[in-house]
Amino acid sequence: MSQHTITYEHSGVRLEEIKKQSPLRPWANRTAKFKLVTALAALIPLLIIAVVYAFTEIPGAIVVVVIYLPMQIISAVIAALLVGGKNAAPDAVIIVLAIGATMLSIIIVASILFTIIIKGFEALSLSFLTQNNEYISPPTPLGYGGIAHALLGTVLIVGIAMVISVPIGIATAVYITEVKGKGANAVRFFVQAESGVPSVVAGLFILTVFILSGAITQSAFAGALAYFILMLPTVARTSEEVLKLIPDDLRTGALALGSTRAKTVMRVVLPAARTGIITATILGIARVMGETAPLLLTALTNDRTIWNPFGDPIASLPTFIFFNVSLPFPSAVSRAWGAALVLMALVSIVFTAARYFGTRKFAKS
Amino acid sequence: MSTAEFEETATATLDAELGQRSPDAKIEMESRELSVWFGSRKVLEGVSIKFPSNSVTALIGPSGCGKSTYIRTLNRLHELIPGAALAGEVLYEGEDIYAPEIDPVSIRLKIGMVFQKPNPFPSMTIRGNVLSGLKLSGMKRPNHDDIVEETLTAAGLWKEVKDRLDHAAGELSGGQAQRLVIARALAVQPRVLLMDEPCSALDPASTLKVEDTIAELSKSMTIIIVTHNMQQAVRVSDTTAFFLAAENEPGHVVEQGPTTEIFSNPQDERTLDYVNGRFG
Ligand SMILES: Nc1ncnc2c1ncn2[C@@H]1O[C@H](COP(=O)(O)OP(=O)(O)O)[C@@H](O)[C@H]1O
Ligand SMILES: [Mg+2]
Repeated sequence: MSQHTITYEHSGVRLEEIKKQSPLRPWANRTAKFKLVTALAALIPLLIIAVVYAFTEIPGAIVVVVIYLPMQIISAVIAALLVGGKNAAPDAVIIVLAIGATMLSIIIVASILFTIIIKGFEALSLSFLTQNNEYISPPTPLGYGGIAHALLGTVLIVGIAMVISVPIGIATAVYITEVKGKGANAVRFFVQAESGVPSVVAGLFILTVFILSGAITQSAFAGALAYFILMLPTVARTSEEVLKLIPDDLRTGALALGSTRAKTVMRVVLPAARTGIITATILGIARVMGETAPLLLTALTNDRTIWNPFGDPIASLPTFIFFNVSLPFPSAVSRAWGAALVLMALVSIVFTAARYFGTRKFAKS
Repeated sequence: MSTAEFEETATATLDAELGQRSPDAKIEMESRELSVWFGSRKVLEGVSIKFPSNSVTALIGPSGCGKSTYIRTLNRLHELIPGAALAGEVLYEGEDIYAPEIDPVSIRLKIGMVFQKPNPFPSMTIRGNVLSGLKLSGMKRPNHDDIVEETLTAAGLWKEVKDRLDHAAGELSGGQAQRLVIARALAVQPRVLLMDEPCSALDPASTLKVEDTIAELSKSMTIIIVTHNMQQAVRVSDTTAFFLAAENEPGHVVEQGPTTEIFSNPQDERTLDYVNGRFG
């Protein structure tokens, strides 16, 4: 054995002990004092507002916002001072505000969902999803007629809008970030401005320039053009952000291998940004899916099922909801809620897809 | 002789050795049988190292054997990764830094860190970067101008930047930026400085400057440095620990001791091969 160095061979008694160690998370262990103080800090304000709510006439919302929130912040700060010292107090305030804001948005989303599900469920049935409105009138009781024609219309309009806006949107982003042409700043500015165009103005533009001039008729295609105006800035700007995140090393790496700039973009940069660009597309779809105003001007509605995107006025979920919800017939209002439920489901599917593609890593040889 | 006895004798020998080097060498930090996990994957096993006060310890070993993971457990950065876990002990001045009443923020203040990639805060000036630790931690120290000059001088950067302290940190070269973040780490007066491959992104001239800085700093603080550069380990460190991980096995320390011994007279064949550049 050496006089100087320790060689640690993994054998013998100590090693067996070491092998038996189990993984611990000491940072998650809190002292008893910490547990007690945080529990009290959470419970006391709740108890107080429970009493206030029970014994006074003050409305619940005011109790929560005006009494509970400040009290919870104060109690969290006191708790932080007791267990963590003065550095912990700002953390405590931020945590309370963050949890408060989260709860608020959860409550809002949950109550919207709850209302739509309760009211929409009544109308839901297989025939509701497979039939159109050709042979019914608004007072017809539920069980007859459905929204298949509106669902098809939404899919057609959104699909066509997507086919037009995704390539143009990506090309715009490539021009701004990869080509870095002379007009890049101007293009970025106009795309930004376009994202501020109100949806009704987009519809009005298509109506006056394309429909009233006689170039096209009110149809799925006309609706898709209006949607395109709304989708393009979302797709272009999100893609731009994504492309900006691709490290320059990748570009120079490809160029140093003798690649042309076009090939660098097509083979290296865009594939590297693929998940982000899929997300950009889906965000664009989600942006327009529920837009009603432009379709009222460009696609109108229809009781029949329309397959030809260039022919007749066509129904869509938002316009279906719009026309039915204002009718004085309970069955029509119910159908509107049912359509709202289907539209929400469609949007959730799109967003779930966005999350799925956005977090998944693809690799190709 | 049982392994436990072996360990004890060996440790005693090492202590004696260090004792010779500087008679009052007290142990500033140590890890005892430290094992570390990411989720269910164990990446380090039974790492016991002592870091004497005001010494420089080099951690060497091939990529992926857990050196970065190890030094991140020494100032409680490891726990920021979801799924992280550990077993064993890390002691600072004899006290377990993972004890429940210990505030991780105070540990990170005392045990500073410099990372592989220089990471000055781009939105701050050079001066702002140096003083950022004081602002972020709420530490109060008077005479900020003196602190800026002292720490930048200690980091070997003062002469190069003294006329442009109010310029953005982004204009510094890689080597300058790394010395700036060293100055930044020093401004909060840590007792221990962890350095994870601080020179791997630097040119030779900057590397030598950082090494001079390390030599100067080690007079008054304890330094633990991960390096892939064998010459650097020889130049800057007093003791060296050699980490190794067999395929799909957790990493462990194969051999540790005075740097001269590890490099001139290693006891383990794998150490010999590694320090001579035959693998890794
Ligand atoms: N955040 C992490 N999550 C999961 N595994 C990790 C993480 N960081 C590092 N590892 C794994 O831990 C092992 C040790 O890594 P590291 O400490 O970075 O090695 P070194 O610094 O010696 O090159 C490697 O196998 C690595 O894959
Ligand atoms: Mg590393």
